[in-house]
Amino acid sequence: MRFTAKTMAAVAMLALCSLDSAYAQVRARADISCKPAHQTLQYDCVIKLIDSGTNEPLSGLTLTVGADMPSMAGAHNVRPVAATEDSGKGTYRVRIALEMRGDWALQLNLSGSIRDRVVKVLRFEDDLVGEAVPAQKPGLHRH
Amino acid sequence: MIDLIQNTIDGMMIGSSYGLLALGFTLIFGLMRRLNLSYGPSIMIGGYLGTVFFLQYAAGPLVVAGAVVAGAVIAGIYVEMLCFAPMKAGAGIASMVSSFAIWMQLEQAAILVLPRHTYPFPALATGAPLQLGPFLIRVDHLIMLLCGLGLAAAVQLILYRTRFGLGLRAIIGNSIAAHLVGINVRMAVLFAFAGASAIGGIAGFLVLATDQQITPMFGMWATLKGLIAMMIGGLGSIPGAVLGGLLLGVAEAHSQWYFGPQIRDLVTYFILFAFLVMRPGGLLGSAPEAAMTQKA
Amino acid sequence: MDDYLIGVLSNIGIISFVALSSYLLLLTGEISFGQQAFFAIGAYASGIATALWGWPLAAALAWGAATGGGAALLVGIPTLRLHGIYFAIATLAFAEMVRILFELFRYQILIDGELTGPNGVEGFRNIRYIFDNNIDALQFLLLTYGLLAAALLKFMLLERSRIGVIFRMIGEDETLAGLQGVSVARHKILAAGIAGALAGIGGGLYAHLTTYVEPRIFDVMLGVHSLAYGLIGGLGTALGPLLGVLIDIGLLESVRSLAGYRMIIFGGLVALLLIVRPRGLLDERVVHRIGDFWRQAFPQARRSRSDP
Repeated sequence: MRFTAKTMAAVAMLALCSLDSAYAQVRARADISCKPAHQTLQYDCVIKLIDSGTNEPLSGLTLTVGADMPSMAGAHNVRPVAATEDSGKGTYRVRIALEMRGDWALQLNLSGSIRDRVVKVLRFEDDLVGEAVPAQKPGLHRH
Repeated sequence: MIDLIQNTIDGMMIGSSYGLLALGFTLIFGLMRRLNLSYGPSIMIGGYLGTVFFLQYAAGPLVVAGAVVAGAVIAGIYVEMLCFAPMKAGAGIASMVSSFAIWMQLEQAAILVLPRHTYPFPALATGAPLQLGPFLIRVDHLIMLLCGLGLAAAVQLILYRTRFGLGLRAIIGNSIAAHLVGINVRMAVLFAFAGASAIGGIAGFLVLATDQQITPMFGMWATLKGLIAMMIGGLGSIPGAVLGGLLLGVAEAHSQWYFGPQIRDLVTYFILFAFLVMRPGGLLGSAPEAAMTQKA
Repeated sequence: MDDYLIGVLSNIGIISFVALSSYLLLLTGEISFGQQAFFAIGAYASGIATALWGWPLAAALAWGAATGGGAALLVGIPTLRLHGIYFAIATLAFAEMVRILFELFRYQILIDGELTGPNGVEGFRNIRYIFDNNIDALQFLLLTYGLLAAALLKFMLLERSRIGVIFRMIGEDETLAGLQGVSVARHKILAAGIAGALAGIGGGLYAHLTTYVEPRIFDVMLGVHSLAYGLIGGLGTALGPLLGVLIDIGLLESVRSLAGYRMIIFGGLVALLLIVRPRGLLDERVVHRIGDFWRQAFPQARRSRSDP
């Protein structure tokens, strides 16, 4: 039994080492803006994908958008939705349905010619979507 | 120098509410030797009920306070009957984890009813703060301090001067013996639980009225503050709960003034950790050795 | 299998590490609310190793385990004298201190023209190892479960070995164990270190799976959850915490239609379960019954029984 455990661990490690081939990848940057859609807890997001090295728009990629709540990781996972591209200019649109109001980390998963992931945390409320401010506990008020 | 005293005054005011939270906690823990992780959330339920009264019926502070206490008591009894009453003697962790599960439940229930991130809460006393020499004292802070000390004194009185209190102390000492002499342990524990929740409700109302808002984070916040204050002051001690609360409030006020909110929290936890490692009984606590031999 | 399902399964595997971490301490009779701190330390350490120092993943994960284990020893030694609720609150305080320290921790290096690294409250983005090295979701899943299987095997061995028995002895009654000649302190420290390392590996895997961590993720909720998993799934075997994770995350994912009421249902179910089963589904009695049934059904005894 001990032998099996050690061999399995060794195999796992070897598998890891064989996966090492570092080469510079294209990095993406994203500009996201979201607005509430007409149904509660649904939001329409417009995402511009840009190559962070050359500042050129990235088009023709497959973009899926998922979401997770940072304060309870994994508990409020939103299934990734595919985004549609706007006539090939690096702008993508997607509608996401969330479970709660509050701060969500949007995961933009890129695949196709480039594999990457960009994460952006936004605060989703009923009437607007803005930058997330880290949650402050109620504290003392100064005069 | 003025800042130092002003911060100390502010800290003591807020600290009195921490002391009240600790009071409720210490009653439950002293009675049942179990940690109730739903304490803060049940107070939050009361707070949400108060907000509903405020928003729907434009109720005044006293009515809202009543609603908060009522809500806290109802939630507290729910927790007691689900998480603590049915558990057998040795199942300490189980009831604690159970209370955690109910914490999640209560928090989600609150968010379902009132989904926004923050809701307004009525103010306790508007108007300019009192001037005492070079120091400013907010009226609502003063009310908080007076209520805190008054309630703590009342609880001490009840525990040591009434038959009910005598019964509770008997149960704390040895619940089987108490049962044998005819004390209705079940009812007494239920009453004490309700009482602790009511105290927590008052503390919650005072804090929320001073902040004038309520958020879903309030449940965890209240639990943590009450827990820390209780630990610093010493488990099972009522003056300890008050003292712990005051100390916590003062430490927080000073840390926040000089270093900001993050360091403030860091200092709070560090004080707690240091106390636990060096003096687990807290300042005035009783029988740390008994707790030392507590099985998990 | 679509990527999302693979992601969920990877998540289950990773959270199992923290659950096993809490479980190990529960075996020795201590409640810890703080294992999420070592999860965080492992995550940040491994992330820094690959993203900022260019280490290979294997080394980074080992580094995560080492830092997690080291930190656990750091907190395990002063808290040796504490028990029960005192120990629990001390671990909670420690974990929150770690979390706040990460909110203040800034360590950024210019890589490829972009500032990379932990940035206080904003967290640690762009842990891009799996992208830079073309590891797809399935490979990562296999890695996670490979490591988890190795950990589980170790646990199984532990249960039958002398050290495992000593752990449970200490859990039952520490004074009695000491009277039997067991070095209680040394074993508790050992347990703390192993638990910290386990959580550290989990953290490293987590950081690389999600490519993004922030301090908020490692809060009290995670700690109490990991404790709860062991208690729900059962404290009789290392498979218990895994069962707990499966029930929680599996249930969370499958009951999507009741999304808004998930916690209410789940919380209520857990509370009811704990009334009838205070030590979880796979508690010691059930495990012994299964063991007896197994031995009766397959009478040829296996050689790996340890000495009584």
